[in-house]
Amino acid sequence: MKAAIKKQMWTGARAIAEAVRMADVDVIAAYPIRPYTGIMNALASMIAKGEFQAEYIVCDSEHSQFEAVKHASAVGARTFVGSSGTGLIYGTEAAIVTALGQLPVVGVVGCRALDDPGNFGMEWNDALLFRDVGWIMAWARDPQEALDMILAAYRTAEDPKVLLPHFIALDGAAITHVASPVLPPDKQHVEEFLPPYKPLHPLDPKSDSISKAMHVAPSLIGPEQRKVLDVAMKRAKNEVIPQAWKLWGDLTGRRYPAFMDAKDLADAECVLLTMGAYSKNLEYVVEKYRGKNIKLGSIRLRYFRPFPAEELKEAVKDTKAIGIVDFSYSLGSPSYGSILYNEVKAALYDMDTRPLIMDFIFAGGREMTIPDLDQATNLLIGAAKTGKNAERPVRWMTVRGEDI
Amino acid sequence: MVSSELEDLTWVAIHGRGVLNTAQASQIASVVSQAGVFAGRDASYYMRYDDSPERVQLPLIYYAVLGNPGIGIVLPEEVEPVGNIFDAVAVLDSSMLVHPTSQRALLLDGVKQESSLVVNTSLKADLVLKLVKKFNCAQDWDGKVVTVRCSKYHPNLVFGMIGALAKVLEDQIAFDDVVDSLEALGQKSDAIAAVKRSHKDAAPMRVSLRAEECDPYRLKSGLVERYRSICASNGGPWDRLKYMELKQRAAEAPTYELRVECMPRWEVLAPGLIEFNQKPGERNIGFKTSFARSFRPVQDPRLCINCKLCHIFCPDGAIDFDPISVDYDYCKGCGICSTVCGPKAITMVHELKALEDADEEEILTIRRALIEFAY
Amino acid sequence: MKEDTHLIMRPTEVNPEDYYVSGHRTCAGCGAALGYRLVLKAAGSNTVVLGPTGCMYVANAHQFLTSPYTVPWYHTQLGAGGPAGIGTAAAFRALIFKGKRKNEPVNVLVYGGDGGLADIGFSGLSMALSYDYEHLLYVMYDNESYANTGIQASSTTPFGSSTTFTPSGKVKPIGNERMKKNVALIAACHPGVKYVATASISHPLDLINKVRMALASGRPSFIHVLVPCPKGWIHPPEETIEIARLAVDTGMWVLWEYKEGSFSLSAKPTKRKDIKEYITKQGRFAHLRGNEEAIRYIQMMVDREWENWEEMDRTKKLIVPWVPSFQQ
Repeated sequence: MKAAIKKQMWTGARAIAEAVRMADVDVIAAYPIRPYTGIMNALASMIAKGEFQAEYIVCDSEHSQFEAVKHASAVGARTFVGSSGTGLIYGTEAAIVTALGQLPVVGVVGCRALDDPGNFGMEWNDALLFRDVGWIMAWARDPQEALDMILAAYRTAEDPKVLLPHFIALDGAAITHVASPVLPPDKQHVEEFLPPYKPLHPLDPKSDSISKAMHVAPSLIGPEQRKVLDVAMKRAKNEVIPQAWKLWGDLTGRRYPAFMDAKDLADAECVLLTMGAYSKNLEYVVEKYRGKNIKLGSIRLRYFRPFPAEELKEAVKDTKAIGIVDFSYSLGSPSYGSILYNEVKAALYDMDTRPLIMDFIFAGGREMTIPDLDQATNLLIGAAKTGKNAERPVRWMTVRGEDI
Repeated sequence: MVSSELEDLTWVAIHGRGVLNTAQASQIASVVSQAGVFAGRDASYYMRYDDSPERVQLPLIYYAVLGNPGIGIVLPEEVEPVGNIFDAVAVLDSSMLVHPTSQRALLLDGVKQESSLVVNTSLKADLVLKLVKKFNCAQDWDGKVVTVRCSKYHPNLVFGMIGALAKVLEDQIAFDDVVDSLEALGQKSDAIAAVKRSHKDAAPMRVSLRAEECDPYRLKSGLVERYRSICASNGGPWDRLKYMELKQRAAEAPTYELRVECMPRWEVLAPGLIEFNQKPGERNIGFKTSFARSFRPVQDPRLCINCKLCHIFCPDGAIDFDPISVDYDYCKGCGICSTVCGPKAITMVHELKALEDADEEEILTIRRALIEFAY
Repeated sequence: MKEDTHLIMRPTEVNPEDYYVSGHRTCAGCGAALGYRLVLKAAGSNTVVLGPTGCMYVANAHQFLTSPYTVPWYHTQLGAGGPAGIGTAAAFRALIFKGKRKNEPVNVLVYGGDGGLADIGFSGLSMALSYDYEHLLYVMYDNESYANTGIQASSTTPFGSSTTFTPSGKVKPIGNERMKKNVALIAACHPGVKYVATASISHPLDLINKVRMALASGRPSFIHVLVPCPKGWIHPPEETIEIARLAVDTGMWVLWEYKEGSFSLSAKPTKRKDIKEYITKQGRFAHLRGNEEAIRYIQMMVDREWENWEEMDRTKKLIVPWVPSFQQ
């Protein structure tokens, strides 16, 4: 009863801003681009009103934005940044260097279709561009989870066993601009969950004098530096992330499975898989089909990096067919598929018996409707009936014109 | 690293001073490889990648390889080719005889038996040999030494060197092919005549060196085992102390290979590309730069008025403030100190004179060099 | 750590300690390295340094376990000099303000080249100069090219200079046809800026004092220091200082400072030397030999600009010099 009263109707933008405030972030770098700008607006307002103290830098570009927080983080400040679409891409160089330099910056990607042309619709390609370089990437389902994920992101990123930057990706306006009930955690829970950021070797004349990111000759050092990142990502997957969510559940009672959420999976013959807010649509469809006694289930990945391959293999070992609901494209890739599809395929490759995999590409930012999902589901069910390999496993959905 | 099992390659290494000799080294390498092509062989030439970008005075090496090495040739790799592969080693600046190359390799590292050392100098071959024994050889070597006073043949030292190289490589490259390649690269008759004269005058002197006679060898043996005991594989990320131990040991490694062996395993690295700094007032124990010198500043204390200008203007900070004195481990011999010294208390003396009291009649490092366009 | 703010009058008063120490893979006679040494002597050990990519990044390490810095130092991207300084300064201010760090100020210094700060990082620099962080200084070492990549033209490459992107040839006899961008003047035009200056390594005491005044000015500041480059300018390494001095003596490089809205020249050659004395000492201008028209143009350019510089010195106000472009 009390909990329901304490719930606020917050947009994703607001919820994230509140999380940043609760995390006592020190430096924020802002640059406007739809749809994530609302988060920065909310933060600016909080700071101006004195609700929260942080340095707020209005930058001249996303490249400067990501560079500013990277350097602030090196000094020992807790930082926050974010962008969307083509703006995120403008900051790519800086973002990559942040990961390779192991700075625990936390950022939000308000996923948005890449230019050209300009398009406010939702695609994942902007965030997924960073999948190889060391950013931890989680996808939030709603403003509540976005808030919780922000706090978990700081804890994960700043863990000395990890020290990797962390993106929380949001399905664009579906989260940033839509208000839904959010229960902010108790201040005391946050303090227990999130210790202060104390880097081992900050850039500070008061600390040990260090040189960071010196140019190297690869015959002397190079692969070793990359290996450190590889191990950090593995530690995030195997220890730090699961422990974080367990602790979060113990403290707040809000229990999330660390890497993967599922509905009606147990006896599902066909499974739909996606990330983020549109998982709600998948769950709606699952309920509908279950009502017709069709054994449908759904999976929602909470993390894209590190990719939960083991959990996924375990989840689908008795499934006949998986349909990936993918808001990305990967032009020219194997099977002319999309990014999440290719990753799932790779993850399931070494199973002794594999389910058949289909790819439903929702590119170009157009909204996915329930009829679209019905269509995809029917294709999946049809393919499952025929056997192992789907004929034409990759489908471009919602496109007017022939899917050649 | 290249295996020395590749028998049928002809490999030439051309050592020069960065920027000042870059264009010439490149030209020599191109002529040698072009000659190989006319002889019907495969060929390539390139600057050792780690020497790029070239820096003024800092040693660089151009390689010309005739034949097909099969593997992606030694590439963008800083590591010296392993094994004995060089048929000829050319040295464009005689001051390089008394210093190792920038990667702590020696001029004669990697030479085959019966190979040749060709040096642009006015000194006699036996003095050159003496310097090599003292500074730049750590192995047995039966070969030839040729000295070329390049200015005798042409203002551009390239042609004197090519003539001499063509002489010592006459079993592998026909002289006619060398002349053809000069013509193909647009050289005129005066250049070709210079090459012919230098070729005729080249008088290789047979030499036979034993490793034990060479100072670098004596220095190295005994140290090898000490470095083999691994530098830093103990446990997790380094702290300042472990880092400095490692830095010191890597700096003391007498060869590049041993230095590579000192390098840390990934477990030792502090996350985030962190290295630890030395204290103000110390100099960088990790990288001494004396090998860059052709000349060294010699200070006359009777004339010095202690104005501190040389300390102020040294780009490398190699002159102590008090008392004023040059740290020759780091001085690159740029000469700025001598130009800013009011009372002219600093004179620039050629390295050979300073170390061996040997007089170089002409100093042929061309002062106004071309910028290397191939990058 | 107390900040070192006192101004010096004699070479013997120079800080004997170096914070960028011997042992780096720079050219013999490298002007940029000397600039680094002097700027860090001036700033002192209570300084965090950010180094954009360039000669002063690659040449200063290039291997491993070979850092020549003794103060905290972090690389930043070529175009990121501006935000690197701002982010660093913001972090210190935030941590101090929130009580997470003791209230002891720290100098933040960005030492970047003309390629980085005048071109790709220009907008970042401009952003930085619009902020109010204290003890933040941007020093642009100007070797008038992208030197580390092998001498390519930048927007501060002077008219008539040859680079690998602007070589001279029959069809393009001038080489670089663009005119040198006056970054310091543009910096001075930023509202609120309190200290902007130009300097030269031929005048080390002036440079040191300017660095100290800049760091104490109370807002992000900018110093544009001319550093001859033996490789790119094509001159013997021992002549680096002489050439920097000639740049000032011919008037091709102007030493000035702009303090809280008031302009003054730091050096006023009583009679400026003929620019030929400067140009003939450098191989990058060798193709201009015999091109009387181009040489006259360069002299005219300098003479015209100096009318403006002298007026600025008299009025203490900024005036934007304007010179017509070269007509062949």
